[in-house]
Amino acid sequence: MNRILSARAAALVFGTALMTTFGAFAEELPAGYPADYAAIVAAAKEEGTVSIYTSTDAAQSQKLQDGFTKKYGIKIAYNDLGTNGAYNQVISEAAAGQTTADIVWSSAMDLQMTLVQDGYAGDYASPEAGNIPAWANYKNALYGTTVEPVGLIYNTKALSEDKLPKTYADLIVFLKDNKTELQGKVATFDPEKSGSGFLHHSNDARNRPDFWDLAKAMGENGAKIYSSSGGMKETVVSGENAIAINIIGSYALDWVKESPNLGVHFAIDYTPAFSRLALVTKDAPHPNAAKLFIDFMLSSEGQSLLAEGGLPSVREDVTAGLNIKTLNERVGGGLKPIAVDEGVLEYMEPTKRVQFLNDWKAALGR
Amino acid sequence: MSTHAQAPAALDLSKAAAEKKYPARMPRHGNAGLYRRIVIGLLALAVLAPVGLIVYQSFLTAAFFSPRAQFGLDAYKYVFTDRNFYKALATTAIFSFGMVAIAVPLGGLLAFLITRTDIKGKRLLEILVLVPMFISSIVLAFGYTVSVGPTGFVSLFIRGILGFVPWNIYSLPGMILIAGLSHVPHVYLYVSSAMRNLPSDLEEAARTTGASIWQVSRDVTLPMVLPALIFAAALNILLGFETFGIPLVLGDPNGIMVLTTYIYKLTTLFGTPTYQLMAVVAVVLILITLPLVWMQRKLLRNTRKYAAMGGKGARVATLKLGTSGQVIALSIIGFWLFVSVVLPIGGIAVRAFVDAWGEGVNLWDQLTFSNFDRMLEVPSLVRGIINTVLLSVVGGAAAVGIYLMVGLAGHRNWGLSNTVLDYIVLLPRALPGLVIGLAFFWVFLFVPLLTPLRPTLVSLFIAYVVVGLSYGLRLLQGTLIQVAPELEESARTTGATIGRTWKDVVIPIVRPGLAGAWALIMIIFLREYATGVYLMGAGTEVIGSLMVSLLQTGAMNTIAALSLISIVLTGAGLALALRLGAKIHD
Repeated sequence: MNRILSARAAALVFGTALMTTFGAFAEELPAGYPADYAAIVAAAKEEGTVSIYTSTDAAQSQKLQDGFTKKYGIKIAYNDLGTNGAYNQVISEAAAGQTTADIVWSSAMDLQMTLVQDGYAGDYASPEAGNIPAWANYKNALYGTTVEPVGLIYNTKALSEDKLPKTYADLIVFLKDNKTELQGKVATFDPEKSGSGFLHHSNDARNRPDFWDLAKAMGENGAKIYSSSGGMKETVVSGENAIAINIIGSYALDWVKESPNLGVHFAIDYTPAFSRLALVTKDAPHPNAAKLFIDFMLSSEGQSLLAEGGLPSVREDVTAGLNIKTLNERVGGGLKPIAVDEGVLEYMEPTKRVQFLNDWKAALGR
Repeated sequence: MSTHAQAPAALDLSKAAAEKKYPARMPRHGNAGLYRRIVIGLLALAVLAPVGLIVYQSFLTAAFFSPRAQFGLDAYKYVFTDRNFYKALATTAIFSFGMVAIAVPLGGLLAFLITRTDIKGKRLLEILVLVPMFISSIVLAFGYTVSVGPTGFVSLFIRGILGFVPWNIYSLPGMILIAGLSHVPHVYLYVSSAMRNLPSDLEEAARTTGASIWQVSRDVTLPMVLPALIFAAALNILLGFETFGIPLVLGDPNGIMVLTTYIYKLTTLFGTPTYQLMAVVAVVLILITLPLVWMQRKLLRNTRKYAAMGGKGARVATLKLGTSGQVIALSIIGFWLFVSVVLPIGGIAVRAFVDAWGEGVNLWDQLTFSNFDRMLEVPSLVRGIINTVLLSVVGGAAAVGIYLMVGLAGHRNWGLSNTVLDYIVLLPRALPGLVIGLAFFWVFLFVPLLTPLRPTLVSLFIAYVVVGLSYGLRLLQGTLIQVAPELEESARTTGATIGRTWKDVVIPIVRPGLAGAWALIMIIFLREYATGVYLMGAGTEVIGSLMVSLLQTGAMNTIAALSLISIVLTGAGLALALRLGAKIHD
């Protein structure tokens, strides 16, 4: 008798608890989330923390982190390791059987795809997947979370907006026509030292037959090469260089707000855009928290927080900052996001990569 | 008691004779042999684990933990047939020797002026000359671009007068000059601590026989501090091979490549990091170190020759410079300080408070605190500052303790273990911080007992202790060497054990040196950047490594603010150390 009573009591308590949990989250969950999502949320809260390995500076994603922690009370261990650092730590930890990364979120699209191909990523069909473009979802393993245009910056004291080339082809002509003024004052990414630089240049080479003409034109102008967008910005702001080509345009859109002598410019017919890709690791120690974070990052709320931090959203329904649609308008209509697919691995093949780099050095006259 | 207690300082004894006359004859029992072997053994383990891993990695065809990895010489073949490797090697050699050619004479001269003469403003100068050391080379180079780069504020000012800028810091000579000037403090520290302990009677004797002050410095002081100069030169050649920040910021855009930037390139060249190629270059750097250590050992074989801190109180009097001497000396120091302290720090300070600079920008219009405001909003950056302070102040003190233990283990030790010690000390310094940091990351990841330490500051501390070994230990050894053996021998003959002798004789004598060593190690830990890049994680961020990861995206506003904070922190630490009565040098 006693036993039955206590069993009933336990069932009652459990049931009430379950219903409370459901009730609490049912109202927060947007349409399209599965009914058992509350169980994931509860398990994630139980895990209490999520570990992110990333190349994104904490300053740019602080709002996203704070928003997530505020919403779920789950702590974020944020490891800003750079693209190579993140990749290195993930494969090393996996080999040692010590995986601590739950999420890898990096702008190195090729390295992220390599992690997926080499089996370091787990599958997770995010309920938000339907809200992002198809090109931004690779087999439910790798998600594009931002759309960041590649463009050029210039010193407004050295060059005026109206003289800048309108199209990609014009840019080549522009460099050739202004050889004397631009000599030694052109900056671009070094594909040998920067993964981003390699991605930008090689993506152009895949899509633009005239890329090598551009490279040669830069070489004729004695172009200098740098390993970061910020490093190039510094030289353009100070007037040491007049123009920097193929830099991360989303950063530049923020920079021009603060630096009066800096301008940002995009070719109207061709503005490639890369995306910061996120994956859940296969042996994630906090798998539920990781899922929750992916969903939050892709949700309208998370995307807004990212866009506010200067990383344009892949969702058209986000109104904060720039989204993929308003960004396309801003760059003149030629936005061409790099699809999240095996295409980004084309130049991971050693001989092809070496060939590309040799061609690049030849074009630049080094 | 030794009959040689009163032997002239410069008595030339061969190593064999020294062994015969001094320590080998000491009683076997209580000779602390076990202690020496344990300490040096542990140290060897801490150094050789990462170094061994790198050597092992160099003979593999893929990352050592990869199932595809096989033994082979492919990596060596690639590097030794790569034209760029030889180009980088040659550039590195020119860079290092050029740097030493500038840093050693200037550092020696500064040490002489500040320690042996009555130069004005000594107390202030003692601190000021160390300032270039406080700044990591990456920040230093960055500071120079803001002040004397093509559109730096000093360059623009000079251009306004002359019509052109008469220098170019983006060239090999420019890099050598900047690196040389910024390494002067490294030389100064070693040489000045040696000079400070020299009794002045020899110099005075020379002066009374009519020698000029320059003759005295050349013929009397210089030979006495030769070991310190050699230490400093050898160390600086290594530092030159290992320098990363200056070539990265100043050389890279124009294609001037050195071995460290070559290694850096290997991390991205093939898309995924090619650890085996990086390891090969690291092995090359190790092989370059070994003859340097051998040479140094040969030159310093007889340490008795340099013992100057004897039983009789060394009276230190200063040489009189005279009015014109004062003016010349202060002008030299002033100009050097202007170039190597005011220019870079001025550049950083300006950059930290503005958003835009350069051609046609009025810096006053750009003045802002937003760089700092924004930084304080990011918890990881704030944590980085706290962790850095913790590591340098507490970790620095702990490191001095460890170096003292190692120093004692090697003190008056002629056995095999001492040879081992000499060779392992410089090994970590020869390796680029990025590589040694990566190796430590792997050690903490793959050695079962160490894995719990990886996400804590302890892993960073251990790596820092090993990386700072050459500085810290040499500094303590330099002081220990100068304790004249007769003091220890008197203690031993009255029945004290080695341990008792160390506790009651050696340590009290070198105690003032420990505070100085602590300040120095603190600085070294504060400015360290490359070592922590792979080791730090969420919660264990440090300023230097944060700057490296920020550099990848190029958040220069934050980098400038962080650098200024690190400079201010160091300044505060030094002021505190001085206030507490610790002397920086002796």
